[in-house]
Amino acid sequence: MTVAANTIAEDDAIRSARFRKEREDGWKRLDTLVTTAEKRGVQGMSYEDTLALASLYRQAMNSLSVARAISMDRALLRYLEALCARAYLVVYAPQESVTGVLGRLFTHGIPQAARRSGTALFIGFLAMMLGAFTGYMLYLQDPAWFFTFVPGGLADGRTPSASTEYLRRTLFDTSTRSSEALGLFASYLFSHNTQVAILTFALGIFVTLPSFILTYYNGLILGAFFAMFAQAGLGYELLGWLSIHGVTELSAICVACAGGAQMGLAVLLPGNQTRRAALRDRGRDAVKLMILAGLMLIVAAVVEGFLRQLVQSTELRLVIGWGLGLMWLAWLLLSGRDGPRS
Amino acid sequence: MTTTTVTKRHGLRRLENYLPPEGVPIAFDIAGLGARFGAQFLDILITFGSVLALVWFLAWLDLLGWSAFVTLFVLLIFFVRIPYYVLAELVWNGRTLGKRMVRIRVISADGTRLTPYQVTARNLMKEVEVFTPITLLFGAANFQWPVTIAIFIWTFGTLFVPLFNKRRQRLGDMVAGTLVVDQPKAVLMPDLTEAATGTAKSARFDFDPSHLGIYGRYELQVLEQILREPPKTPEARTRITEVVKTILAKIDYPEHVAHAEEWDFLLEFYRQQREYLESRHLFGDSRENKFHSRGPGDGSTKNPGGQTPRT
Repeated sequence: MTVAANTIAEDDAIRSARFRKEREDGWKRLDTLVTTAEKRGVQGMSYEDTLALASLYRQAMNSLSVARAISMDRALLRYLEALCARAYLVVYAPQESVTGVLGRLFTHGIPQAARRSGTALFIGFLAMMLGAFTGYMLYLQDPAWFFTFVPGGLADGRTPSASTEYLRRTLFDTSTRSSEALGLFASYLFSHNTQVAILTFALGIFVTLPSFILTYYNGLILGAFFAMFAQAGLGYELLGWLSIHGVTELSAICVACAGGAQMGLAVLLPGNQTRRAALRDRGRDAVKLMILAGLMLIVAAVVEGFLRQLVQSTELRLVIGWGLGLMWLAWLLLSGRDGPRS
Repeated sequence: MTTTTVTKRHGLRRLENYLPPEGVPIAFDIAGLGARFGAQFLDILITFGSVLALVWFLAWLDLLGWSAFVTLFVLLIFFVRIPYYVLAELVWNGRTLGKRMVRIRVISADGTRLTPYQVTARNLMKEVEVFTPITLLFGAANFQWPVTIAIFIWTFGTLFVPLFNKRRQRLGDMVAGTLVVDQPKAVLMPDLTEAATGTAKSARFDFDPSHLGIYGRYELQVLEQILREPPKTPEARTRITEVVKTILAKIDYPEHVAHAEEWDFLLEFYRQQREYLESRHLFGDSRENKFHSRGPGDGSTKNPGGQTPRT
């Protein structure tokens, strides 16, 4: 098209076509910028391009708004809607750095969430303690209950019929595992326990009950085990053996249960909100509790995999276990009291 | 608070009135269940496939001891269950590798940016909805039948949750307040009024308000659709002839349109009709369709058949 023809066409074009002509170059530029951002992320773009992206995005939004009012060209409206949607997704991408997110989570997010979730945490620990109590009492009544509660793989020969000597050996045993095998054991424990914790957490959405039952069941096993060792006169030694990692590990299961309970409570007792809104609100704390549980499980797995076999004195085991517990408590109670609510 | 509405058209669900901070509502197509299922399947295939490939490669190299090897394996399997999805959706802005391939993505339901919390929450729930049922299904043969039935109910129960809500959210999406939508595609088509051969002064066909006052926006956009696909087969050309005949009869246009001129006639009619309707619209006289003259009550009813047949 010659220049002369171009001017004639421009003067002659209908209003919405002139509108389009004036802005088309900006849209096309935005289109290419968005395409690069989609492929390589905004981080890889130059300073000028990033600036242009933001301002062209606003211009395109403005164009869309005007075009809806004046143009009946459906293809154009479709194009602008899609372009604006794409640009929106690029401009409003998550921009937090991973380290920044983690830092805030540990200093403020998790402790604050834990302090807000008193009821749920109570439910979690209650489930475990009730389970332990029931397991203990039932075992005292009839040791056969042990086989009902404890899966065969977990018992590993530690059954009511086992001798006291054998039971003692399972608590203080260094011969079976080399240090290399301990690492394997730790990673297996972590993976297994985390799976249990995530399940406990996620099932909470079905009105808390499944979380409660799973935790209660964990308590049952614990209670039955304890009763068995206590009858063999090894209660104190078992306490040490369990405490070194168990304070952290069992608390982690309770915390995961509390996370599930948060969601279950939102479904069960949404208060003045709709269930969906309540779920969204309390889900925030629930997820933080779950991350806390995961963190505790990592620590527990390391302690269980390495320290338990290396530390053989019951007193030291008690000190390490409950010391760790106190540290968790101190962190959750004291940290993040100053800053903004996240 | 959400202002979004969902409309269903031709089996596609469209999320409308999605309000970004700029205050101009935009729209997204809600991703189909097939695409989401496909993306999940691809993700599982990719993650577990690459873990197996890596493990096989390491076994072939035979550098690691047995226990270090198993440790690595256990940790990798753990990583590809939840952490992979969280990291991928954080880094690639709501897209995992599988989602990238089928061109869908996660967005926040309320118009704000996707937060790390939302990504974590929706993927933690994946454990109940996807991984545990799958693991249990593989082991289903070992359980007694009541357990097997319970597992099946659980699996299909969670699978069907997205079917029973308008926005196709699974449980994790509800907890996190997220949606899965199609990646929008933007194609800029030429403006049809530019394609009209004549200018206003030299137009071969001239329509006056009595001709242009018949149709409304709906018919105009149907005509636009026809004009976007130039006829290639003889049948398509016959249809164009029919369209021209229908329009001529409807608007009572006095001239005869030769067979060779039909396409130009339609383009010219489109240009003048659009100019007319747009300027009426600016003056506050919006004409949604050809029933506009019957008053506002009737004006809103669309006539899907239309006077102008669809091609």
